[in-house]
Amino acid sequence: MSVTRRDFLAAGLVGAASGVMVPPVFAKGVFAAGIEGIHNDRVLVVLQLAGGNDGLNTVVPYADPAYLSARPTVAVRPDAVLHIDSSVGLNPALKGMKSLYDGGQVAIVQGVGYENPTYSHFENLYVWEYADPQRAQTDGWLGKLLGSQIDSQGHPLSACALGETSTPPELRAPTATVSVIDSITGYMVRGGATRQATAPALYRNTPGIYGVLFDQALSTAESGMKTLAAGASAYTPAAQYAIAGATPAANSLGAALQLTAQMIVTEPSVKICHVVLSGFDTHQAESTRQTALLTEVDAAVSAFMTDLTAHGQADRVVLMTWSEFGRRINENGSQGTDHGAAAPLFIVGKPVTGGLYGEQPSLTSTIDSGNLKYDIDFRSVYQTLIRDWLQGDAATVLGATYPELPFINKA
Amino acid sequence: MNLTKIHLSRRQALEVAAGGALGAVALRFGLDEIGPTTAATVSAGGWPSPLGTQRAMAAHLLRRAGFAFSQADLDTAAALSYDDLVDHVVSQKPARLPLPADLTNHNQVAAAWYSHMVTTSAQFPERMTLFWHGVLTSDYRNAARLPFVYQQNVLYRKAGLSDLRSLLASVTADPLMMRYLNLDASTAAAPNENYARELMELFTLGPGNYSEADVREAARALSGLRIQLVDSTGARIAAPWYTKANAQAYADEVNALVRSGATFRGALVARVHDSGTKTFLGRTGNLGPDDVIDIVLAQQACAPFVTRRAMTFFATPNPSSADVNAVATQFRASKYDVATLMRAIFRSSAFTSPTNYRSLLRSPTDYMVSTMRVLNRPQLATGAVRAGAGMDQVLYAPPNVAGWPSNAGWVSSSTLLARINFATTALAHGTTLPDTAAAVRTHLDGVLGRDTTAALGAAKTPSDRWFALLASPEFQLK
Repeated sequence: MSVTRRDFLAAGLVGAASGVMVPPVFAKGVFAAGIEGIHNDRVLVVLQLAGGNDGLNTVVPYADPAYLSARPTVAVRPDAVLHIDSSVGLNPALKGMKSLYDGGQVAIVQGVGYENPTYSHFENLYVWEYADPQRAQTDGWLGKLLGSQIDSQGHPLSACALGETSTPPELRAPTATVSVIDSITGYMVRGGATRQATAPALYRNTPGIYGVLFDQALSTAESGMKTLAAGASAYTPAAQYAIAGATPAANSLGAALQLTAQMIVTEPSVKICHVVLSGFDTHQAESTRQTALLTEVDAAVSAFMTDLTAHGQADRVVLMTWSEFGRRINENGSQGTDHGAAAPLFIVGKPVTGGLYGEQPSLTSTIDSGNLKYDIDFRSVYQTLIRDWLQGDAATVLGATYPELPFINKA
Repeated sequence: MNLTKIHLSRRQALEVAAGGALGAVALRFGLDEIGPTTAATVSAGGWPSPLGTQRAMAAHLLRRAGFAFSQADLDTAAALSYDDLVDHVVSQKPARLPLPADLTNHNQVAAAWYSHMVTTSAQFPERMTLFWHGVLTSDYRNAARLPFVYQQNVLYRKAGLSDLRSLLASVTADPLMMRYLNLDASTAAAPNENYARELMELFTLGPGNYSEADVREAARALSGLRIQLVDSTGARIAAPWYTKANAQAYADEVNALVRSGATFRGALVARVHDSGTKTFLGRTGNLGPDDVIDIVLAQQACAPFVTRRAMTFFATPNPSSADVNAVATQFRASKYDVATLMRAIFRSSAFTSPTNYRSLLRSPTDYMVSTMRVLNRPQLATGAVRAGAGMDQVLYAPPNVAGWPSNAGWVSSSTLLARINFATTALAHGTTLPDTAAAVRTHLDGVLGRDTTAALGAAKTPSDRWFALLASPEFQLK
């Protein structure tokens, strides 16, 4: 959305009169004079595995006797593991990921975490979303990046949360404009042409402290709806995202990543996309549940990469996975695992230099009564993605500098 | 919040208020309807505030202490002085939740609650129940095949209007909460810290007012609570036994038991309770669950923390510490009496200030209940449970233990579309619609922005006019 002088004045007066919150457009007006740091066609896709994915059963230290003895019922059988090397291998549900790894397109970062971890979902989400183990920051790390270096003008489709309804906290910041698109069919004004014309017209000049927020949300929706409508004819998926025979619920990530591919293919301004798959909090009956979830991840990510390649977009997209924590080394009494600490994550894409990064944490030399010590600070991953992939300034986003990992192919 | 009084003509005030955004108002829906004023006050950020008049004050209170109301309700309310109206509202007695067919079914219980919120004449108790559901929150997924959501809803309606001590004591023994925060699995040998931590961090004190050692000691004191089934006399009875083969018979039996007055509730089981000496927030002894609650309530941080949550929900998005403390002092002095708390909030200048007009954003539940109320269509209640998902609020499925978002946190491009589409869904049912001009006066105080004025003027059918009203930014606010 463009900020007119009138919007600026109106918003300025609103801010001054209320003293309650600074409307985004007012802040944008100020920042608009600045120069954005990032000018390229690169896209970052963030895949959140919500609930705390069990890292030890994802990238399995199958050769470590301590692994099997800690997990009599939930361990992945060593002969089923997809071997990466003589000590670790992937969960058998990750066949597509293994094939991408063999093609040099997957970086596995092991032992990702931070010092003095907390074991609460809520606190760890905060830590990862705001890139702050002290949990004092008020803006999400991607929101900060977006608002300060990518798009302070608030282009509606620079950042998209896809297959979900609320703005993910990592994308929240006063200067960040985010399109939240649950599904293509749902992202529309129903009820015919009159309603479709009336709805956006109701949100052009809304007064009050929520005015800018409302007007921006609806103008963002309006642009997104138009792009989706145009994109529907310009994009045909070139891969099978849905798992044959699975329920729509079990294909939700596939649907979200297909929508992500459509946005990337049809809308050049897309820079950051967020998708999420929930259900990883496997306190009970872990093997069945995690296998189903990883199968969904594997099918969706594989299809996404195939699709991007077919559309000639693979060179400009990198996907990162994260989860708020890994799980306890020892299984609990219900064939599950409790909240833990460090875990591996995946960086996937053609621009990635594949391989293993960081060390698999020891299963015997542990912290906090049986949890994994981290090897790589998660902010090292963020910094590498900001600097080496998006070519932005990481220090202003993260507030400090961290050792980088060479997983982006700079050639 | 700054109080900005501008002594201008009303038209001038409107122009100033939002850089002209509140321009010409169509005569039919004119601001003249709210009566003459000589000085307009600009509310938080730009809506001209009608709160100088008794009628608008009554509407402001009823909208926030309840959901929506008829013109006749407003006539009655506006005839009382504001203080009398506050007393009248906070002394409302809750009406019983009509029983859904299957008390163990989350969808049915949520639909029954929606329907009740739409039809009951005692709106304030429902609003309080919704408030506590967001603060002392729980998730229906911990209630598989058991009537725990129903029981918690009934509990909050009753205890939520009493005092904080009774409420916390019942919540600590509430089966849905016990499961949600793992009290039911906490033993002397392995105390679970989940409830102890959230009781202090999110329910009563806020971070920084206790140590990790306090969390551990409180967990010990709270260990050993187990869920038991008791009959209407309080005598323990055997719970039915579930197997896959007898699922229907089991559900029938559970329903019959609850209908006969049996309840599941937490009881302290000595065998698994830690009866050793604990030191919690400076008190030492063989402390148990009741002691934990008493000690928490004795903390200076408790009254301001709970008051701030209530003021953010009922009064203003960012209450000042001075505003909070003024109310919290009364709350604490009353031994945490909820009616005293709410009376103080509704009478506080943070609530009544003309600049506080439309400072709150309706939650999805509030928006849908208000829509059903103004259209008189309670039959939409079942659909509302599902429709809430698109707006980010499925009752009893909060995003996390911190409860629901509030105000600006409800807005995304997706959720706003979902609200707008709910208006279309709501209007697709039934044929007779109330008069729109009267609705604008009653439900929007006749205070319209330029966009809504234009859309109402351009609408050609009653349904299109109602769509403009329900989908408008004005109707999302209160």
